[in-house]
Amino acid sequence: MTDATQIPSSGAARPAGKSIITTDDRTKKRNAAEKRFRMYGIAAILAGIACLVVLLGSILMNGASAFQQTFIQVPVYLNPEAVDPNGNRDPEEMGSATTFTYKPIVVDAMAALVEERGIETEIDPGDMDALFSAAAVAQVRDRVLANPELVGETVTFNILASSRVDGYLKERVSRDSVARDSNIDAGHLDIVDELRAEGDVVKRFNWDFIFGADASESRPEQAGMGVAMLGSFFMMLVVLGLSLPIGVAASIYLEEFAPQNRLTDIIEVNISNLAAVPSIVFGILGLAVFIQFMEFPQSAPLVGGLVLTLMTLPTIIISTRAALKSVPPSIRDAALGVGASKMQSVFHHVLPLAMPGILTGTIIGLAQALGETAPLLLIGMVGYIATNYPDGVASGFLDPNSAMPAQIYEWAKRADPAYYERAWGGIIILLVFLFAMNAIAILLRRKFERRW
Amino acid sequence: MYDNRASESAVTADDIKIEAKGVNVHYGTTHAIKDVDVSILDKTVTAFIGPSGCGKSTFLRCINRMNDTIDVARVTGDIRIDGEDINDARVDPVQLRAKVGMVFQKPNPFPKSIYDNVAYGPKIHGLAKNKGDLDDIVERALRRGAIWDEVKDRLHAPGTGLSGGQQQRLCIARAVATEPEVLLMDEPCSALDPIATGQVEELIDELRRDYSVVIVTHSMQQAARVSQKTAFFHLGNLIEYGDTDEIFTNPKDPKTESYITGRIG
Amino acid sequence: MPFYWTLAIIALLCAAGYVLGRRKAVASVGGDKRRLHSLPNFYGMNVALKGAVPAFGLLVFWLIAQPLFVEWRVSSIVSDLAVSEARDLGLVMVDVRRVADGLDTAVATGTMTASEATDIAAGDGNVRERLGAAGVALGSEVSEPVLRAAQRYRALSSTGDTLRSVAVLAVLLLGLGWAYRETDGEFRARNVVEQGVLALLLGAACIAILTTLGIVLSLIFNTIEFFSIYPASEFFFSTTWSPSFGGGSSLGILPLLWGTLYISLIALAVAVPIGLMAAIYLSEYASPRVRGVAKPALEILAGIPTIVYGLFALLTVGPALMVVFGDGGLGWMQAGTAVMTAGLVMGIMLIPFVSSLSDDIINAVPQSMRDGSYGLGATQSETVRQVVLPAALPGIVGAILLAASRAIGETMIVVLGAGAAARISPNPFEAMTTVTAKIVSQLTGDADFSSPEALVAFALGMTLFVLTLGLNVFALYIVRKYREQYE
Repeated sequence: MTDATQIPSSGAARPAGKSIITTDDRTKKRNAAEKRFRMYGIAAILAGIACLVVLLGSILMNGASAFQQTFIQVPVYLNPEAVDPNGNRDPEEMGSATTFTYKPIVVDAMAALVEERGIETEIDPGDMDALFSAAAVAQVRDRVLANPELVGETVTFNILASSRVDGYLKERVSRDSVARDSNIDAGHLDIVDELRAEGDVVKRFNWDFIFGADASESRPEQAGMGVAMLGSFFMMLVVLGLSLPIGVAASIYLEEFAPQNRLTDIIEVNISNLAAVPSIVFGILGLAVFIQFMEFPQSAPLVGGLVLTLMTLPTIIISTRAALKSVPPSIRDAALGVGASKMQSVFHHVLPLAMPGILTGTIIGLAQALGETAPLLLIGMVGYIATNYPDGVASGFLDPNSAMPAQIYEWAKRADPAYYERAWGGIIILLVFLFAMNAIAILLRRKFERRW
Repeated sequence: MYDNRASESAVTADDIKIEAKGVNVHYGTTHAIKDVDVSILDKTVTAFIGPSGCGKSTFLRCINRMNDTIDVARVTGDIRIDGEDINDARVDPVQLRAKVGMVFQKPNPFPKSIYDNVAYGPKIHGLAKNKGDLDDIVERALRRGAIWDEVKDRLHAPGTGLSGGQQQRLCIARAVATEPEVLLMDEPCSALDPIATGQVEELIDELRRDYSVVIVTHSMQQAARVSQKTAFFHLGNLIEYGDTDEIFTNPKDPKTESYITGRIG
Repeated sequence: MPFYWTLAIIALLCAAGYVLGRRKAVASVGGDKRRLHSLPNFYGMNVALKGAVPAFGLLVFWLIAQPLFVEWRVSSIVSDLAVSEARDLGLVMVDVRRVADGLDTAVATGTMTASEATDIAAGDGNVRERLGAAGVALGSEVSEPVLRAAQRYRALSSTGDTLRSVAVLAVLLLGLGWAYRETDGEFRARNVVEQGVLALLLGAACIAILTTLGIVLSLIFNTIEFFSIYPASEFFFSTTWSPSFGGGSSLGILPLLWGTLYISLIALAVAVPIGLMAAIYLSEYASPRVRGVAKPALEILAGIPTIVYGLFALLTVGPALMVVFGDGGLGWMQAGTAVMTAGLVMGIMLIPFVSSLSDDIINAVPQSMRDGSYGLGATQSETVRQVVLPAALPGIVGAILLAASRAIGETMIVVLGAGAAARISPNPFEAMTTVTAKIVSQLTGDADFSSPEALVAFALGMTLFVLTLGLNVFALYIVRKYREQYE
């Protein structure tokens, strides 16, 4: 402390009695900078939230219409000569009449309706098929086969309108675009306008979009998410059934039993690195190992589930370890103190206490897996048109299927813009699931959150 | 060698630097400071003592409005520095804090070089006209912090590389560099070893020549060594305030006496 | 389905073993459970575990080993053919497997009897047409060695399947019997079972290693195969990417890397300023109420699947950019899918990633630093800019590197939003493509997996893996060092 004596007294240099009430210029400038900086922060937050709003807004605006579908109410005379030439009302024999037989019936019914409503039109009665979907014919046929007594009667059907008509009602198709469209003429739209005024053409809630199967490229009006939803469901069963037990077992080992050694280090490094491996690489793994090497079936939810399990395991292990870590050591000591083995203390005391945290982490991991698309592309879950429901559990796991995000991707790739609406609508369904899962996770966390 | 300092203090002016009246502090629902009145003199070391949790640090943080940075803290009452109400709506806490410097319990050098640590305050307050000026200010502050000789050869080494005692003296130099009028010290020696403590205490006594120093301390011996005035806090109340000699030799309040004799605390 | 039957039998026998083992232990002490060394359940579990674990182990081993073995035996039949026709042995084996599968299908659908399938020769009748009738389309006529190899393949596989069931059941019964015999009241069942459970836990933890191993091996083997038919120097240094499945492809990675890095750069240019400022505002300024609303709102962005962002890029952002920069506006943009489109949308996706990581890192800066700065009379922004951010810098750099690795590995946004043309161009409004997008397009076509056009995807995957892994390891190292500094 020798230099203490040489200190130049700064007391004299100090500006004496500077008031704190009057703000000096420099402080004003600094405060302005402060305000600007704060504005940048607010702007950043608002920009982030604006992105969210625009994103959710465009999903809702573009997707909501997928839940509405246009139907035409038309009385159809089920001509016995065409439908049941043998006249014995035997469904087996009537089954030989294909949709080619039924198409003229529906076209005639359509023409009859137009005439009955007194609509003047240039359209040839034979061209009425532009108004309704190809699926409508199958709809009539199925109804007749299920109920042969209807033959010979005039039955009013609610048939699916064609994609162009549906688009016209949803303002996707305009008269301008129709001029360049070979599928439909402006005259058809005039008919639709008139029929709509009469109440024969209506938009209704589209259950088939939620529960129906995907349709071919040319029939967007019929496509639905139902089968892909089941595909996702089976995949999630695989993910849950494998990743929860494996993830919990691995976490218990690492958190409670692992000695400090080389192997443990390797495992830990592996887990933290796997968590950041791009998902597409897991797709490559699935393709090379499960499909090429082990020869599992392509496009099967089982394989998709396996790939997603490997992908979500690190997430689940990390959150499970956090949950185990949050159980205080005193609980373990208490169990060991009454003579339980280490294994018993973990399985009887620590694990049940950590369970809510583990479940929360698992649900969040599942939600992540549910929305993941890239690896599914490589194991062939895209390009497959999921038109049939799986029959039974084994077929649910092993038969080719799609999955919700893969189905959305498939629709987004198709050429017909009518499919874009389906893709947006599919996103709404997917997001409803994701929000529900996250809400459950948050509720679980709130309900069982414990402060030690 | 320390005990004769307290009597020397009589020579300094007894003009009041800080005057607090009816100060209350609430942290959420807890009432941390209850109706405290105290007058702090210029060019004097004032010690706040009391058991932990008694509110002495909280009160200290009222004087430069550091409690503003804590969301749940609510301060009421009247604190004046040189007759100006520090809680006045027109007061900019930034200017206030330039006038009332603070040194914290744990040495907290910024993760920058020693030079930049000290130059930080002068830079933001615009005290230096040019680089040479700034160099002078830094050197002067480091000398006043009694650490110049130890660091003059490595001014651009990181401040976090110093020892605990050196770090704390660096923090004092940093506080002094902005030319404050009052220096608040929140248990500045609690994280230091006895030798470093001795150095810092010597420095505090030195600083009294120019500043009004307020020091919160856990150790009664330290209060007795460095301060001329002592305030005893207990459970948020100011129990007793007076000359340090008086408080330690002849406490008026039985609580003060119990604390000093080690029965509570 | 004998495989499922095997599983069912293992489960059933283990359940029986559990009950018997437990019963025997209790009986051995005359029903007085207190005289047992362990709880009765442990004796049951001991028996079940000793049956199930070896049986399952053998089953899994067999499932992996049998195809390798069969492949090895069968390939000796066709190796002469491969030599004589100068074809790759792997390609011939693909044919063999396809024919074998075709015969299986034919038998399953009833177009061929089981004995016909094993005895039919290329000379008898038209194998290709008969398989075609069963719904198995073959590219060319089946040659005699291939058909024989396929039949051998089927024979070996079915023998292998039978042997597998027998061996697994034998091991199961042996294990159960051994454990049952050693069961009595003195036996330390708990210790043994706990040892077993510990081994199982360790096994579960090792799956992470297996996964990494699987990734590395599947990438390496296929990459080596790719480089054996396509020169590595061409791959790494050629600036043209034009795969054609007819052959004569030019497969240079540079245009893909350029697209990847360009898009990632734009994404980071969007995400880093917004994410970082948002994190600063949330951690330093926002009141708890604002924080309670804004933070979860930003995190919603993180929870939205990338397919949604892809669609957003393709159908909303792309057309919106076209209005401003397209032919109607500035005329810089030809189509909605472009580097800019994908980059902007990826930036939006990364905002919450950057902001939540930076938020954690800024919060790790000790409060005493801020106090020190406020105590000197610094304003909040001065404190943030001159004290908090420099202190947090290493951590933030780590966070940005992690975000960069995310951007490089992102697939769906670029598949839908960036276009498909591989080119090196400085114009961000042009369509370009990335490593990930090309992995998808090379592996989702109907390409033969042994052609260079498909195999290149593995080399691309390897590049991607190495790139992202390197970034991650480096970033995690920085972040860990940073955290240690303040612990």
